[in-house]
Amino acid sequence: MSTTSMTGCERVNRMFARQDQDRIPRQDTYWAETITRWQREGLQWDHHDVLRLLEADFAVLCWSWPPVFPGQRELLREDAETETIRDAWGGIVRTWKGRSGTPEHVGFGCDSREVWEKTYRPAMLAAPNQVDPQMAAVRYAEARKLGQWTHLSGVEGFEALRKILGDETCLMAMVDDPEWIRDVVAVHTQVVLQSWQAVLDQGVKPDGLWIYGDMAFNHATMCSPAMYRELVWPFHKQMADWAHARGMKVIYHTDGRVSGVLDLYIQAGFDCLQPIEAKAGMDIRQFAPTHGDRLAMIGNIDVMKMATNDLDLIEEEIRTKFAAGMATRGYAYHSDHSVPPQVSWDTYKAIIGMVERYGYY
Amino acid sequence: MPLLTDLTAAVAAGKRTDTVRLTQELLAAGTGPQAIVEQGLVPGMAIVGDQFKRNEIFVPEMLVAARAMKEALKLLEPMLASAGIKPKYTAIIGTVQGDLHDIGKNLISMMWRGANFAVIDLGTNVPPEKYLAAAQEHKAHLVGLSALLTTTMPAMKETVRALKAAGLPNTRIMVGGAPITQAFATDIGADGYAADAGTAVDVAKQLVASLA
Repeated sequence: MSTTSMTGCERVNRMFARQDQDRIPRQDTYWAETITRWQREGLQWDHHDVLRLLEADFAVLCWSWPPVFPGQRELLREDAETETIRDAWGGIVRTWKGRSGTPEHVGFGCDSREVWEKTYRPAMLAAPNQVDPQMAAVRYAEARKLGQWTHLSGVEGFEALRKILGDETCLMAMVDDPEWIRDVVAVHTQVVLQSWQAVLDQGVKPDGLWIYGDMAFNHATMCSPAMYRELVWPFHKQMADWAHARGMKVIYHTDGRVSGVLDLYIQAGFDCLQPIEAKAGMDIRQFAPTHGDRLAMIGNIDVMKMATNDLDLIEEEIRTKFAAGMATRGYAYHSDHSVPPQVSWDTYKAIIGMVERYGYY
Repeated sequence: MPLLTDLTAAVAAGKRTDTVRLTQELLAAGTGPQAIVEQGLVPGMAIVGDQFKRNEIFVPEMLVAARAMKEALKLLEPMLASAGIKPKYTAIIGTVQGDLHDIGKNLISMMWRGANFAVIDLGTNVPPEKYLAAAQEHKAHLVGLSALLTTTMPAMKETVRALKAAGLPNTRIMVGGAPITQAFATDIGADGYAADAGTAVDVAKQLVASLA
C-alpha cells in the first residue's frame, strides 16, 4: 500500500470541510463469518488486520446503548443452534449460538405506557453509566498516536424505541400516543449524552460522534417524514447540537431507503450519512450532486455486487461511485453495509486495490 | 343503517373503535359476515396497501389499520366458522433457514390476512422440509419466503428448489426481503417477487389467479 501524506484525522476533517485530501478516507465492516472464511483463505489474523491493510482512518472510543436493566441476561431456553434470553432491555430475543445475524424478537417487556412510566423509565434513569470512560481515554491516546479520526459511538432514539418497545408497539404508539414515544426518546437521549459527557470529563477530545439508528427498510422510512420530524428529529438535533457545541462532527448510520428525509437530516445537524444502502435504492451518483455539499457520505459500495466476486462489475461500482462522491470532496469508502461471506479474500484484496486506484484526488 | 363503505373508510383510517362499532351495526342490520369481510374490511386494507406503495402512509398507519381489521374479525370469525365459510386461498409464510428476522414477514402476513387469505405463519429459521410439509398439509396456494440477510439467500434458493422438486401444481412460490431482487427471484425459480408489503398483495393475487 502507498505511503500517504496526511493522517487519518486530517483527512477526515478535510472531508467534512470539503477541502482537498490526498485520498478519500476509508473504513469498513465485516460479518464474523466473512473473517472466518478469509482466515481459511489466507488471512493471518482478524478484522483489525484487514482494517490495517485497508489503511482505515476511523477509531471508535466507546459504545453507548444504555440498557434498562444492566447485567440482566436470563437464559429462557435453548436448542442446538439458538438460545432465547431475556436481555438487559427486558425483551425476549432468540439469537444464534456462535454466529452473527439479526436476532428474532420474541417479546418485549415494555408493552404499555404504564409499564414504561412505572418500571422502565425510572430504571433507565437510575442505571449506572455503562460506558467505561477510562477505557475510552486509553483508546483515545492510542488512536491519537496513530493519527486516526476518533469518535464516540452509540445508539439514537429511534433504535432505542425499537429495542425497548418492539416494532409493533412503538410504531403503533407513534399514532396512538405520540407523547409516550417522545418521552422514551427523550430519556434515552439524556442517558446517552450523560455517558458521552463522562468520557469528555476524562479530558478526551474526540473528533466526532458516530450514531446508529436504523430507521428505514428497503422501501422507505419506517414512519413518515412528518412523524419523524415530530417525534424523533428533535432529539437527533439535540445530539447534533451537543456535539457541535463541543467541536465534534456527527455521522449518522441508518440502513434502508432514507431519500425522503435527507433534508431533515441536514436540518438536524447531521454532517454525514453512512452506509447509504445500495440494495435499498440509495445511490450517491444521484444524491451527491444534490446533497453532497451539505451532507458528507460514507459508503454505498454495493455488497451484493461484491458478493458476485465479479471484479469487472465491482470495479465499475467503485469507479463510478467514487467519482460521484469525490466530486464533492465529502466522501469516504465503506461497503454499503457489512462485507458478506460470499466475498472471497482474493476479491476483497482486489477491492482494496481498487479503493487505492480510484480513491486518490 | 351504516354502509359498508363507512366500514371500509374506518379500516383504512385505522379507527378500531369505529371499525368494531360499524361491524356490530352492520351485523345487527342483517348484513352477513362474509359480505362484511369481503365488501367492507378487505377493500379497506386494499386502500392501505395502495397508499403504502405510494408512500402516502407508512408502517405505523398500516399497523393500526390491520389492528382495526383484526378486532372486527374477532367478532366475525366465529360466525364464519359456524357457517363453514373459509377464505378462498391459503398461504404459508416463513423466514428461511438461518435467518431469525421477522419484521418483514410479519408485515406481509398481516397484509395477506387483510386481503382475505388464510395465512399459516411458520415463524423464522424455517428449513425447506418444513415449508414443504406445511404446503402439502394445508394444500397451500401460495408459499412466501422471506430473507433479510445476504448470507441466507442461498437457503431461499434451496427452499425453492425443494418445493419445485416436490411438484406442487397448485402452489405458487413468492419471495421477498431486503437483499432480494426480481433478478434473484427469477434466477432461483420463484414464481413471484414483491419489493414491499403493498405490492406483495398484488403479486399474491396475480399468482393465485394463475392457478388452474
